[in-house]
Amino acid sequence: MQATTESLTADRVGALDKPAAVRVPQPYWNPYLAGFGLGLVLLAAFVIMGRGLGASGAFTSLVAAGANAVSPEHAKANEFYAEYLGDGTKSPLMDWLVFEVLGVFTGGFISGVLAGRVKQTVEKGPRVSVGTRLAFAFVGGGLMGIGAKLARGCTSGQGLTGGSLLNVGSWAAMMAIFGGAYALAYFVRRQWQ
Amino acid sequence: MNAPFFKFGLFGDNVSLIMAFLIGIGFGFFLERAGFGSARKLTAQFYLTDLSVFKVMFSAIVTAMVGLFYLSWIGFVDLSLVYATPTFIVPQVIGGLLLGFGFVIGGYCPGTSAVAAATGRIDGMVYLAGIIAGLVAFGEAFPMVKDFYYATPMGQVTLPELLHLPYGLVVFLVVLMAIGGFAGATWVEKSMAVKKGTLRA
Amino acid sequence: MKSFLTNLTLNKKLGLLLFVLGFFALFAGSPYKGSGVTLDAKELAAIVQTETDHVSAEELAGWIIGGKSDYRLVDLRSEVEFAQYHIPGAENIQITSLPDYGLLRNEKIVLYSEGGIHSAQAWFLLKAKDFKGVYMLRGGLEDWKDLILFPRLPANASPDQRAAFEKTKEVSKFFGGTPQSGLSDEAPSVALAMPKLETPAPAAASAGAPVKKKKEGC
Repeated sequence: MQATTESLTADRVGALDKPAAVRVPQPYWNPYLAGFGLGLVLLAAFVIMGRGLGASGAFTSLVAAGANAVSPEHAKANEFYAEYLGDGTKSPLMDWLVFEVLGVFTGGFISGVLAGRVKQTVEKGPRVSVGTRLAFAFVGGGLMGIGAKLARGCTSGQGLTGGSLLNVGSWAAMMAIFGGAYALAYFVRRQWQ
Repeated sequence: MNAPFFKFGLFGDNVSLIMAFLIGIGFGFFLERAGFGSARKLTAQFYLTDLSVFKVMFSAIVTAMVGLFYLSWIGFVDLSLVYATPTFIVPQVIGGLLLGFGFVIGGYCPGTSAVAAATGRIDGMVYLAGIIAGLVAFGEAFPMVKDFYYATPMGQVTLPELLHLPYGLVVFLVVLMAIGGFAGATWVEKSMAVKKGTLRA
Repeated sequence: MKSFLTNLTLNKKLGLLLFVLGFFALFAGSPYKGSGVTLDAKELAAIVQTETDHVSAEELAGWIIGGKSDYRLVDLRSEVEFAQYHIPGAENIQITSLPDYGLLRNEKIVLYSEGGIHSAQAWFLLKAKDFKGVYMLRGGLEDWKDLILFPRLPANASPDQRAAFEKTKEVSKFFGGTPQSGLSDEAPSVALAMPKLETPAPAAASAGAPVKKKKEGC
């Protein structure tokens, strides 16, 4: 699978003149090139904004805004939400990360369309049902949500950003992420293989 | 020295939101290019069959790290103005473990789940809903976990500072580690493929 | 050598480039600039000449009364002097902590000290560190006392001056000062009491203004 990545680039160029509806899903990019591109985006964020990429913080802003909409007193009384709500002069959704994550949706979509990879599917292994897979996805997301807050970020914020800044907590969190995932992989292998 | 541009007042908060959107587009674009909209490709990392996650993450890390190092060194970027989160070592490690569990169970991380949802994956959308639920749970439980959340602070500290090594040396060591990792990853993938019979030795 | 390089695959080329860059990092020294600065002497001299970076006491009083909050007022004196009296809304920052305090480069910063010398020197420090919106209170706290807190109307003032003085009295009372009128040109022999510290009616920017919202995490 990995051995012939370079030779696959030729296939990509020819397929672009087919209409999107019948475009064959393109092979993925060389991971090092994709990583290089990602690194340049991260570097641009450092140079332009003085901060890196992130994702979990945007969802926290969304939750804080939601909590505020449901019950403002409770939201402001809770120290966690209050931090994201600020002093009330600006909606928590007018936040850098929120706009960045909107961009992530958009960029992912654009790339998917260009590569013919947008399709309504459920990613799963052959040995589980759709329902089980979706249940696992929800639980996994929940664990991620909690973990991302404790770790002050996720793989983008702590891994990519903190990693390139040689931040101690980020490297520790990154090793814990890989460690935790490898540790549990055996027990959920049915879902994927 | 005039970068980071935002911190030198080159543009205001509103333009910074536009910048956020554009940067996010780049982020999502390359994630999808690498195939990270697919939970199966992502989790293959943890079964050692496809180590793209490691390759992409660490190529990105060393690119940005080396780029930032040299841009600071020539005086273009003021490195002290680039924000890095303060370290709270124990909660971050525990949080990292939970993130790892969530990653292999759910198949995504927050950024990649956005890409997955954007390219039609239902499980990506459900995963996002799960993240929201987890955050709500955390927010509601916050008064109880607050002490743990703020435990073991180390302030904002970098590896060079912690290890008392010159910054450039740590950069070099990380680069060596990455190159070694990439070579190792290629070897592991080949070995796994041979074992599974998809590649003849 | 050349055939070796051209025969490498793309991945190996990238790896080699990475290794070379990483290797040179060993000898490059620290990426942090430390406290060295570069100054454009001509540009700074021009700004000093035109006095565009001054704020008069009356202007500042107007801003405070009007409830303007788009600036940060910095008092450079000692903590003791600050506790005795400071202009409402001011933050006390020692000049040695000033560059690292966490002031943002795109904020409007108004510096004041007792007479203006320290604020002028602090102005230079911040300009050298590329702060864009740095201003000094002209005349420092001394002018603030003379013009705002304890304005004086000489005995032989014209009717126009008397009329203008009414407004000055209002401003002075707002800040808890004591306007004086009808005095001879000699300085008063009684030391006037400094107003007690109360925040004026418009809500001043709360202490710790930077701690508003989690701005840059992930």
